[in-house]
Amino acid sequence: MKGNNLGELEELILLTVGILYKKAYGVAVMDEIEKQTGRTLNISAVHAVLQRLEDKGLVISEMSEPTGERGGRRKRIFILTAAGKKSLEEANELRNQLFNQIPKIAMSVGGLKFQV
Amino acid sequence: MQKLSPPKWADRFLEWYCNPKLLEAIQGDAYELFNRTTKSHSKRVANFRFVWNVFRFFRWSNIKRSPTPSPSPLMMYKNYLKVFRRGFIRQKGYSFLNVFGLAIGIACFILISLYIRDEYSFDRMHSKADRIYRIHEIFEAEGVGERSASQPFPVAEALLNDHGSQILKTVRLFNFQSPTLALSTIDNKKEFNETRLFFADSTFFDVFDFPLVQGDPKTALTVPNTIILTESMARKYFEDENPIGKFLKFQGTQNFLVTGVLEDIPNNTHFQFDFLASFATLHDVYDPSVPERWHWYWNPCWTYLLLKDERAATELQAAMPAFVQKYFPEFVRNDVSMELVPLTDIHLKSNMDYEIQPNGSLTTVFVFASIGIFVLLIASINFINLSTARAAKRAKEVGMRKTLGSQKTQLIVQFLFESILLSLLSVVLALLMVVLALPFFNLFAEKNIGLLVLLEPFYIVLLVLLTLGVGIVSGIYPAFVLSSFKPITALKANASQEKGVLFRKALVVVQFTLSIVLLIGTGVAVDQLDMLQNSNTGFTKENVILIPILRSPIAKNYMSLRNEILRNPNALSVTAMEEVLGAKHQVGNFLFEGMEASRPFPRLNIRHDFVKTFDIPLVAGRDYSEDIRADDSLALVVNETFVRQMGWPTNESAIGKKFGDRSLGRIVGVVRDFNFTSRHQPIRPLVLRLNTADDAFQVMLKYMAVRISGEDVAGTISWIEQQWKAQMPGWPFDYFFLEDDLEKLYKTENKMSKITLIFSGLSILVACLGLFGLSTYSAEQRKKEMSIRKVLGGSDSEIFLLFSKHFFNLILISNVVAFPLAYLLMKGWLASFAYQVNINFGLFLLAGFAAVAIAFLTVSYQALRAAHSNPAEILKAE
Repeated sequence: MKGNNLGELEELILLTVGILYKKAYGVAVMDEIEKQTGRTLNISAVHAVLQRLEDKGLVISEMSEPTGERGGRRKRIFILTAAGKKSLEEANELRNQLFNQIPKIAMSVGGLKFQV
Repeated sequence: MQKLSPPKWADRFLEWYCNPKLLEAIQGDAYELFNRTTKSHSKRVANFRFVWNVFRFFRWSNIKRSPTPSPSPLMMYKNYLKVFRRGFIRQKGYSFLNVFGLAIGIACFILISLYIRDEYSFDRMHSKADRIYRIHEIFEAEGVGERSASQPFPVAEALLNDHGSQILKTVRLFNFQSPTLALSTIDNKKEFNETRLFFADSTFFDVFDFPLVQGDPKTALTVPNTIILTESMARKYFEDENPIGKFLKFQGTQNFLVTGVLEDIPNNTHFQFDFLASFATLHDVYDPSVPERWHWYWNPCWTYLLLKDERAATELQAAMPAFVQKYFPEFVRNDVSMELVPLTDIHLKSNMDYEIQPNGSLTTVFVFASIGIFVLLIASINFINLSTARAAKRAKEVGMRKTLGSQKTQLIVQFLFESILLSLLSVVLALLMVVLALPFFNLFAEKNIGLLVLLEPFYIVLLVLLTLGVGIVSGIYPAFVLSSFKPITALKANASQEKGVLFRKALVVVQFTLSIVLLIGTGVAVDQLDMLQNSNTGFTKENVILIPILRSPIAKNYMSLRNEILRNPNALSVTAMEEVLGAKHQVGNFLFEGMEASRPFPRLNIRHDFVKTFDIPLVAGRDYSEDIRADDSLALVVNETFVRQMGWPTNESAIGKKFGDRSLGRIVGVVRDFNFTSRHQPIRPLVLRLNTADDAFQVMLKYMAVRISGEDVAGTISWIEQQWKAQMPGWPFDYFFLEDDLEKLYKTENKMSKITLIFSGLSILVACLGLFGLSTYSAEQRKKEMSIRKVLGGSDSEIFLLFSKHFFNLILISNVVAFPLAYLLMKGWLASFAYQVNINFGLFLLAGFAAVAIAFLTVSYQALRAAHSNPAEILKAE
């Protein structure tokens, strides 16, 4: 496993798993991302990322009770682990830390005046 | 609504590839999305999206794989090796049979392939081999005449002159068509009759690449009366001295200067020679002052052409009819056609009259190739049979391995690994056998094959493929059958062990069918050979001594020598003739009554008493008589086929028929048909021509034949030698028995039947090894059954019969299959012979019976053991 860095999609899905607390399974995660960000993902991509996150120990999964709409099949529900939560926090923190270092001036006018 | 379901095939595909641990969630999501789509879209869109998703899910992380990581492959191989070694040692007998049988098969196959490879290597050592052609002269009218490998003297010159744009060089070989030519050192201390001496054009080394050890290939053969010889001949005549600059006396009359030494000629050339003399020496034979037409008639020169490229051959071939019309004398012009034959085809495909030496044959190569494949097949079947039988015993091991977590693939790999290892052992053993057997094989196949050939890439690839091929084929059946056992059944005693019995039985039938076919084939081949060699040829070949006399000074002394020889009461009759009777003939043009123009007929020049010497019955007219001098030119004796071919009603009616340009000659006698060539050919018309001219001994009378009584043979021969020495001092005396010489005619068949005999014997041996292994296995399997039968009152003989019965059935089936197969194959083979032996059905019965008997002996050992076993001993366990 290559480091503990989160990819962009991984972070997005990890966040969604957090949001959907105890209701996060493939289709739900896909729908939620579309609702929140407008991004349409293929279900197989979602599954692949979820598996990868589980391999990294950032989520764990368990099977739900069977439901009718899936032909009696159970859902695999994903839940954030402590490590998952931690890496979300770290990512968030890192982002904030970096964000805060941007000089004020660059944020207000500098960038706009700069001729491209 | 809920009843709608996604496409079945896609669903199944998903279930097939998907890792079962992930399947439920993935399939669930796919279904959920499908149901959702059906609500908003048409069924088709939903189906399409479902399929699309299934394909998108088809990725590495979702594909079914072994759930637990297997131990490192290397570690497993170590374990396989250990298990293999233990199994091998525990079942020594089996292992030995298995490896030994296959090794014999592979060794036979390699030996035969070496033979075939050698046959195909003929004449390919020359760098220009693909552009060298020999030109043949086919001289036939109404199917009678000759198909000659050699040409008249001027053909080479004329071809080069007219077709210089296609031909680079020509070279002629000439040896007086004489079986031997005499050579001696100047001091006569060493004198021999040499059989492998040719006169060759100075261009010889431009065409062929035979390397010279000493001398210059450009000039060695340019000057008259020069000769080059091989290293071993140099030793024979000059021992350790340098032969260059020394002289050799040719036929006691001419001295040849040695100008070069050749490396010994390799065995795989279609003409073997020890000496080459310069063609320029021949001006007295090939004398331009003789009338032109005879130069274009007598055709003793083997003529080779070096062409510019391969395309030139077709062009040249097309130009040949015009060439014949332009040069050949009028009386043969319409009967002659030319044929170009690639040098590399000569050994296997050319079978002309007057070949320099007997060639090989494609049929023999095919026969050997099929024998090689048969034996290999039999041995492989053996190996497969024994492996499968043995593997069945390992069901428990398989069960155990599976219980401990072995994958099906791992088991397959294990079994394949073992069988490949076993076949590798066999290949190694086979190579050892080849190394040991090759000298003997070379001896009786008359080859000189070196071991280094085996290091060629071809053989290395062949051996690797053989190892893998036999290993995989023999391992694949047990590998798949055993690895699919359910652990529970496998661990239960004796379950599933009877699997593959039918398969093994079928293989045994194939094996014995092949063996029986080989046996019958060998029998028929031996029969045919026997028939060719020993049946009545129509003349007496026993007790006839032939003495080469061509170009010897005998002409003046023939009559006195004959009279001297006949003074010995054991010398019954003396004659002289053109060729070895029963082996060869020449062709002459004759014009008989009722023919418009002269035509070629097989011909033999003879001296008086020919008919008497060879005991050929006259059926009409009279023999040549010494009292009628004109017989030499005005009388002819012909054979019965000749009379029939001419359409004359009876043998008597042929007497008095006229011949010759001016119809002065008469046919005076008709002899009964006899085989004047080998029995590969039917009897053709023949003209026996008396030739008492002195110069006939230059070209047309090659042998003196002496019929002896058969008593005191050594004394008679030494008597003849004394007379010879007295009449022709300083001339080597050489002789051979006609009978011995004629055996050479059937050398190919002789060799072939010997080789088939050996290999079919081996094939039977291998098949029996297999049968022995199987019966041992079967005895093992059924020992309890037999014991119980015994306890319940079965007699020894009943048990013996019961046990051996099913093996017999197999052999009987093999016989039923083999008989028609062998019959058809042998019919095909015999079709190439002019005289065919009747296929003897007794032979079939004999072969079948032999197979049954051998199988019986093999099986009965185990059957007897089964019958005599003590039930108490066997049943006490458990």
